[in-house]
Amino acid sequence: MRGGINLSYIDEKVAPKREDRLGTCIEFGGSVCEIKRKFGCGCLQNSNRTFGQGSICQLLPATAILNSLQDTVVIVHGAVGCGGVAHTQSASFRWGQIAAGKTNPKGLLWLSTNLGETDVISGGDAKLRSAIIAADKRYRPSAIVVLSSCIPGIIGDDIDSVATELQPQINAVILPIHCEGFKTKVMATAYDAIFHSIIRQLVEVEAEETTIIPDELAIAAEKIRRSKLVNLLNVSSMTGADQQELIRLINKLGLEVNVFPCDAHPEAFKYATQAAVSISICPTHDDYFLTHLQEKYGIPYINGQMPIGLNNTNIWLRKIANFFGLDDVAERIIASETAELNAALAPFRENLTGRKVMISAGEIRTLATAVWLQELGLEVVAVRPYHYDTFGEVEIEKLVVINPSIMLNVATAHPFEAVNIIERVKPDVYLGHVSDNVWAAKSGVSVLPIYGGQNVYNGYAGAYDIARRLNRILKNTAFVKNLRANVRQPYYQEWFDENPFKYIKQGAID
Amino acid sequence: MNTKFIERPRSFCALGGAALAVGAIPGAIPILHSSMGCGGSIYWNQLGSTGYLGAGYCGGLAVPSSNIQENDIVFGGAERLSEQVENTVKLVEGGLYVILTGCMTDIIGDDIQAVASEYRARGVTIIGAETGGVRGNGYRGYDIVLSALATDYIEQQETKVGSKVNLWGIVPGQDAFWRGNLVIIRNLLERLGLEVNSFFTEKDNLATIKNAGNAALNIVLSDFYGIGAAETFQDIHGVPYLATPLPIGPTASAEFLLKVGEALALDSAIVQELIRSETKHYYTYVDRIADAYSDLDFQRYAVVVGDANYSVAVTKFLADDLGWLPELTVVTDEIPTEQQVKITDYLGNLRSGYKTNIVYETDATEIKTHFRNHWPVNRGQQFYDAFSPAFVIGSSWEREFAKDIGAGHLTVAYPVSNRVVLNNGYAGYQGSLALIEDLFSVIVAER
Repeated sequence: MRGGINLSYIDEKVAPKREDRLGTCIEFGGSVCEIKRKFGCGCLQNSNRTFGQGSICQLLPATAILNSLQDTVVIVHGAVGCGGVAHTQSASFRWGQIAAGKTNPKGLLWLSTNLGETDVISGGDAKLRSAIIAADKRYRPSAIVVLSSCIPGIIGDDIDSVATELQPQINAVILPIHCEGFKTKVMATAYDAIFHSIIRQLVEVEAEETTIIPDELAIAAEKIRRSKLVNLLNVSSMTGADQQELIRLINKLGLEVNVFPCDAHPEAFKYATQAAVSISICPTHDDYFLTHLQEKYGIPYINGQMPIGLNNTNIWLRKIANFFGLDDVAERIIASETAELNAALAPFRENLTGRKVMISAGEIRTLATAVWLQELGLEVVAVRPYHYDTFGEVEIEKLVVINPSIMLNVATAHPFEAVNIIERVKPDVYLGHVSDNVWAAKSGVSVLPIYGGQNVYNGYAGAYDIARRLNRILKNTAFVKNLRANVRQPYYQEWFDENPFKYIKQGAID
Repeated sequence: MNTKFIERPRSFCALGGAALAVGAIPGAIPILHSSMGCGGSIYWNQLGSTGYLGAGYCGGLAVPSSNIQENDIVFGGAERLSEQVENTVKLVEGGLYVILTGCMTDIIGDDIQAVASEYRARGVTIIGAETGGVRGNGYRGYDIVLSALATDYIEQQETKVGSKVNLWGIVPGQDAFWRGNLVIIRNLLERLGLEVNSFFTEKDNLATIKNAGNAALNIVLSDFYGIGAAETFQDIHGVPYLATPLPIGPTASAEFLLKVGEALALDSAIVQELIRSETKHYYTYVDRIADAYSDLDFQRYAVVVGDANYSVAVTKFLADDLGWLPELTVVTDEIPTEQQVKITDYLGNLRSGYKTNIVYETDATEIKTHFRNHWPVNRGQQFYDAFSPAFVIGSSWEREFAKDIGAGHLTVAYPVSNRVVLNNGYAGYQGSLALIEDLFSVIVAER
């Protein structure tokens, strides 16, 4: 059942993989027009690459979210290298704190069960038990995440049973989360795996307090508070500045926010059921959680847009306002924000008009960014979403209208395809995911890194900042030009004359 | 050594260490035979732990990888690997391809050697190594790669060249300063008239590596890393090895050069002359910082935290050359008890006679406990012999500990997230001058 959620999923130990749940595709080469047509007929499943490059499994984005949780210790149950991505996440985490004005930033803290050859034979449950007990005693956290890597998935370790068995003697709530890297090609399955455990372990409906003489005034005040309370679901690829911008807009509507999952305290999930509505900024990130929250607890949701660029931010804001009957307020905000933004963008538009751009990142972010850059006057020549599914269709529709032949490559990194495409479409600037960017730079293309740093990317502030940064980056392209002249790509020259999608083998329909 | 869980492991897994080692050999291409996330996991680790070491020629997310899936694990992944190798050699230009397994393909027992043989028979220069993460950490991966080179790539030669040595023991990526360190020691040895094969620097190439079998000696700049490979090399190529701690500073460097001279039966006058001129060079610069050292009292108590190379080497430099007071040396590797004697002996016999306290601890948050156990806390005394002025030399993790005890801090060991490292190194005479610059610059940073 494409695009759907089956409530019974939550009774299972493991969330389904996205290939099965959503028909998600991660290998495709063609145009925006072709993907629109082929996805609709289910032609994109069961594809493969016959040449692969190191990629990203579901464990990696999972650690980005889970390591950010306050008062929580993540235990990566696996070999010593799984979870090592936290080194980079920790550095970014510190930068984020400094950007937020903290003078004493802290790095992340996680444990590895450090599975070895003997554990593969005799099982890793005992080591996991000792890690949980030690983590509880040593760090006194509110929650302990047990994150399963590939190995427990095939040696028969049962992290759920270990969690259940130990919970009575452990102060922290134990969250078993399954992120075996070999089980899915779609790293976004991680979001479902995390929310699956959060729904099972953390979300709850508080028991109603019963007092002998009810304080009707207090009850009414609480009802009013909750009628204006929204859940804002953040994503780990947002900066603090992004979050501030979105909260600013929601506050302008007179609403209050409960923000999670990233950087949240485990307690924050308990309040998820108090909100009037849940607001997502990324359908591919949140659909599993939102649907369950609605079906199980009756909390409706607003989903579908990533507030990137002027129009998508407008749509996002209108949907929220409409839910609360605040359409007039939204229009007033939009009118004033738009006027100010357009005035500020004028000098940049002049420099950016006609510049060719290529984008590579998460599905929605890539496509929404493309739409915004077209609005801004640039020419989108190629887009590379990390995966593609039904949530991308809204933005694809818009791109097809702009230019049906925009090149589209579904790839979780795979820079060999990217550099081939670059030689064909010759972009002036590349907006990419962490670790993609360098290959564009070596191709001589200026890079605007989409993620991280202290930048703002969302909302009106983000729309402005993207333009401002693009304008700056194109002021001097010497670094990338020198790189291209002096550093070579690892591929034979002939590769650049080949079809960039030569190694994608389109699969048969099941 | 996988006896317990580890807080924030200070290493890659074996596959990561292996991939970085292969990627550091000019012209060599790693081919991962692993789950799809292994490549990304290694790279995203590397980007925050190695002084901003980039992907290079064919690393990062460009690394060829079979990205095996559940059905490969059920039915075997050799076929997928074969397809991957076939297309890699068509697409990616390299002089040597090295198949590296991850945990999953190790556990299911894919026969990568059969795949490698098949392609060798077809004229491809390719070898394979079993480097699944369950086999150990990044240091182990480095060792496995060197062993594989010794076994399947380096040509066997009867006649040895007396002045030719291989230089090992400094692990790419695990040591953020590996390039600088190797080049410094290489240059030093070249001044003894030796021909040096250092494998992992821009000065090396595949032709000389293939020809490494006629060396007279393998010099391993570590008592722990690369030893397994040196043993293998000795068995296959009949080349003995000299394992010696990483030398930092004039005292350790002189001891190092004497050992090399002895092992190769070099003319002792040449060795002595090199020691004399390098020491003179070192003191030409130290002479001119002695004013600040004396006027501003640069002597510091120190806690040194790092792997078995750095913790030992830096402790010795501080005590024997700089006149500092290393009170606590934290070795962050899991060193088997029977092998700890190598460290105890070395640090127990410092030329200065200074005694540090050695502990073995993998977990950063526990270091403070060791420190408290070692140095008495102030129980409200009016007159208290404080651990001050103090310095913590360790990794980026130790910033918080240094701040807690009011000490200066310099990152030298993995993970290195707060420094950018290009060709800088701390080894030898030259490197120790750089280390002095970096340490003293922290002290004067706010002036």
